[in-house]
Amino acid sequence: MDLLEFARGPALQWSISIFIAGVLWRLLGVFLLRSKKDLSEPRNPAAWKGLRLIALRSWPRREFLEGTAFGEVMGYAFHVGFLVSLFFFAPHVLFFADVARGLIGTDLRGLVGFGWPTLPNGIITLLSAISVAALLAVLVHRLVNPVKRLISNFDDYFSWFVTFAPLVTGMAAFAHLAGWPYERLLAYHLLSVELLLVWFPFGKLMHAFTIFAARGATGMLFERKGASL
Amino acid sequence: MSAPLVGELLRSRGVTRRDFMNFCTSTALLLGLPASMAPRFAAALEQARRPSVIWLPFQECTGCTESITRAHGATLESLIFEAISLDYQHTLQAAAGEAAERAREQAMRDNHGRYLLIVDGSVPTGNPGYSTIAGHDNRTMLEEAAAGAAAIIALGTCAAFGGIPGAAPNPTRAVPVGEIVKDKPIINVSGCPPIPVVITSVLVQYLTFGKLPDLDALGRPKAFYGQTIHDRCYRRPFYERGQFAESFDDAGAKAGWCLYKLGCRGPTTYNACATVKWNNGTSFPIEAGHGCIGCSEPGFWDKGGFYQPLSTGRWGDARTVGTAVGVGAALGIASAALARKRQRDAEGG
Amino acid sequence: MTASTGQPHARKPEPLEFDKPRVSIATPEYRYDMQGEMPEAERVERAMKSFVKDFGRTAAIYMESCIHCGMCAEACHFYEVTKDPKYTPIWKLEPFKQAYKREYGPFAVIYRALNLKQKVTVEQLQEWQQLIYDSCTVCGRCSLMCPMGIDIASLVSQARHGMYAAGLIPHELWAVTERARLEGSPLGATPKVFKDRLEWLADDHEVEIPLDEPDADVLCAMSSIEIMKYPDSVVATARIMNHLGVRWTFRLDGYEATNFGLLSGNAAAQKLLTMKIIDAAVACGARTVILPECGHAYTALRWMGANMYGQPLPFRVMHIAEFLAEQVREGKLRLKRVAKSATFHDPCQVVRRGGAIEAPREVLKALGVELREMYPTKGTNWCCGGGGGVVANHRADELRYKTFKLKMEQIEETGAELPVTTCANCRQTFDDGQAHFKWDHKMHSLLELVADNLIEDES
Repeated sequence: MDLLEFARGPALQWSISIFIAGVLWRLLGVFLLRSKKDLSEPRNPAAWKGLRLIALRSWPRREFLEGTAFGEVMGYAFHVGFLVSLFFFAPHVLFFADVARGLIGTDLRGLVGFGWPTLPNGIITLLSAISVAALLAVLVHRLVNPVKRLISNFDDYFSWFVTFAPLVTGMAAFAHLAGWPYERLLAYHLLSVELLLVWFPFGKLMHAFTIFAARGATGMLFERKGASL
Repeated sequence: MSAPLVGELLRSRGVTRRDFMNFCTSTALLLGLPASMAPRFAAALEQARRPSVIWLPFQECTGCTESITRAHGATLESLIFEAISLDYQHTLQAAAGEAAERAREQAMRDNHGRYLLIVDGSVPTGNPGYSTIAGHDNRTMLEEAAAGAAAIIALGTCAAFGGIPGAAPNPTRAVPVGEIVKDKPIINVSGCPPIPVVITSVLVQYLTFGKLPDLDALGRPKAFYGQTIHDRCYRRPFYERGQFAESFDDAGAKAGWCLYKLGCRGPTTYNACATVKWNNGTSFPIEAGHGCIGCSEPGFWDKGGFYQPLSTGRWGDARTVGTAVGVGAALGIASAALARKRQRDAEGG
Repeated sequence: MTASTGQPHARKPEPLEFDKPRVSIATPEYRYDMQGEMPEAERVERAMKSFVKDFGRTAAIYMESCIHCGMCAEACHFYEVTKDPKYTPIWKLEPFKQAYKREYGPFAVIYRALNLKQKVTVEQLQEWQQLIYDSCTVCGRCSLMCPMGIDIASLVSQARHGMYAAGLIPHELWAVTERARLEGSPLGATPKVFKDRLEWLADDHEVEIPLDEPDADVLCAMSSIEIMKYPDSVVATARIMNHLGVRWTFRLDGYEATNFGLLSGNAAAQKLLTMKIIDAAVACGARTVILPECGHAYTALRWMGANMYGQPLPFRVMHIAEFLAEQVREGKLRLKRVAKSATFHDPCQVVRRGGAIEAPREVLKALGVELREMYPTKGTNWCCGGGGGVVANHRADELRYKTFKLKMEQIEETGAELPVTTCANCRQTFDDGQAHFKWDHKMHSLLELVADNLIEDES
């Protein structure tokens, strides 16, 4: 079995399994912890309205913007580029459609009656490049900014790396980087994604899930008190 | 018996000097050599003694023979084959049975150390009874023939990489020639089947220079296997622009768009189909509307469905996912229970 | 009282000077304070045990969610004025985050087996004492900033429980909590002292001050800061209640609104102090408990009281500013017009954390002042720098004065004549800052402003 076959086969199976198991382990391990009921009289009984914090906290209040604008903008530049490349690049869409077919017996087109459109490769390339640039910018910032340097640990740097690698290897494979055998580039890309999947449940990448839980919990707690969101 | 020189043979068949020189020039170009090499080819071929060629068929389908020997009228390729002394070839030879075997043994003795050995089909290493010729198992026959060969051409993906018999579950434990023979130069001319002009060019190269062409990491001539189908495919611009046929015979397919979504293996397949094409340059699978199946690559039968795009891997199935969900849930519940217990203990104490 | 010593220089505990304008300590030099005689290992063990007891699902979610973006620092006044990264709010939680992952999180088994997170050491806890107590007022500004929505302030309060259990809290906080627990007041306003004060205040100001009524609709509480330092607030409360014709009372078995148990991390003391007010309210059948101008008192009773009690409170809890706003809305409180410009300092526990954002402003509007909001204001206003026990902790004085400059700038920018607030601890902090910087602005109490401008029916 050559490297590409390994990457497309057993490595993919194992990494997806570890990803699913790890995410569930971590989420359930937290959500099943004890939660004491709050017996105080709420100012606003409809605490669920506080879930709007999930959306609200996506941009800082004006008063905080001065010191945080850079981080916020870079964060969005990375996330938007990354997510668009992941979900709207044709070969990726084919992969997800295949997974959907495998899990629920039909790809999404069959299920919901419309396709999942892909974006032109030029746009994907541009957005991926912006993502890569943003990642480099935030790495430099993390190394240079005194606050981030103090609080950063292995997780921060390794999570950065496993996020950076798929973008860079993906772009290299897509560009059929001169002089490199394509199947090798593709294998590296798949392996880097598999590394990301395996690391995901154990590091700070889990914020993809916990962000909803944390913002939601605080939103409901604060809404209940009428406290500032 | 004294065989005529190649040049004499060609002239006796009515090949003009002009046609002959044209052939030498185009062959040179195909091999990536300058056109100025043509006279050297010509001179070598003129004087070349017809080399003895032994062709051993093992676990094969005869497709390689069909491809190589397909003659559309009197092509020069087929003439070259008449020009070589093909001393043993099941499909083409007139003799059969003991007579054929004795002819083979004679040729091997007479030309010991100088004959070219062509092998198609894979060699079973399981029960030797799976594939025999005249009661001899393939492996023994290969070892004997290889001992006196100057070089070996593993013709077709079966001989080069194991091919169909070698596909999962490989019941005969089929192996390529290169697994058995370790001490002779081997040229892998893979493909299922290979392109006719590739074999003839390899022969011409060998006859002219007396040595093997440049080979890639898998032992294939770089001149024909140095680039992917994808890199030479005429439909590449559609790939770049993201225009794909979604199903066979849809609007995109009719418009000749890229067949990536229909499983084309072009990006990971090395062969000359996109440039040299088939049937005298008539067409090749993609041009005919079907994706490349990667037939010149090792293990191509086991690399996922031919209609599954390259980007879909074998990620598992609902059962795999279900197991992962179960394991994750169990561990999550266990860790929460453990933490709660620690809490209760801390409160009790 | 058991001894509290300052480390690393072991010396006899300093007497606390309660008669000074602020609780004072003679030499507040750089120190790690420790309480109790116990081996270091035991301190860590107690901290961890207390921490494990406290932890719930929400805190766990928060501990899992931090992405080390460092933006919380941008919201914290201590970081703002020093630019020292150690004041990054989430960094204050670092030993507890470590402990969470190692002892309590979903992967705790892995962390321990592979020793991926070290056990928290006593040195770490000692070092963190300053971060958790000196440079955090639990103001919650960081919680408003965090992109992940982590309520960092609540985690600091929880961390303080662990620090208390380990005997590693600032000396002054330990001492005043002991005093509160044993005497009924952190500042010497014992029931006897309170009773005496009420008598001479009633006399001096010719106002009726009901005490220990067996039956009342409203129970009022006071903070020791007001009782000892701003007695006009006591008078103001009485005046207003009487003016409104409320059936109210003070009670000697439950009058102290401050809760140093909450501030120091002594959970048992917090409960004890809260229960006093609850029991007193139940005893007199009060339907409403009105808390004085105090910030953390609101947090302690309004939001944490029922959980201490174990069931919903059988009465309403209001901050005095909320009560006044309600009376204004119902047209019961008519006030003379104060023809001045004013700006409002938002006490963190009342406004940002407590939710009584508009109430003080409704009252100011009724007072007819020209309200000039400072920037930032309301939920994002800067903390006075003295909350969360910081003003009592002398080791933190220098740092606190630095943060006070933010408040001075804010207020000066508005050009308002009257800085107003509705928390006596903020007021105390402003007074101390004013003295330190010889500032020409005085902080006023909303309650006293109202009392001074009541339109009495009889002249």
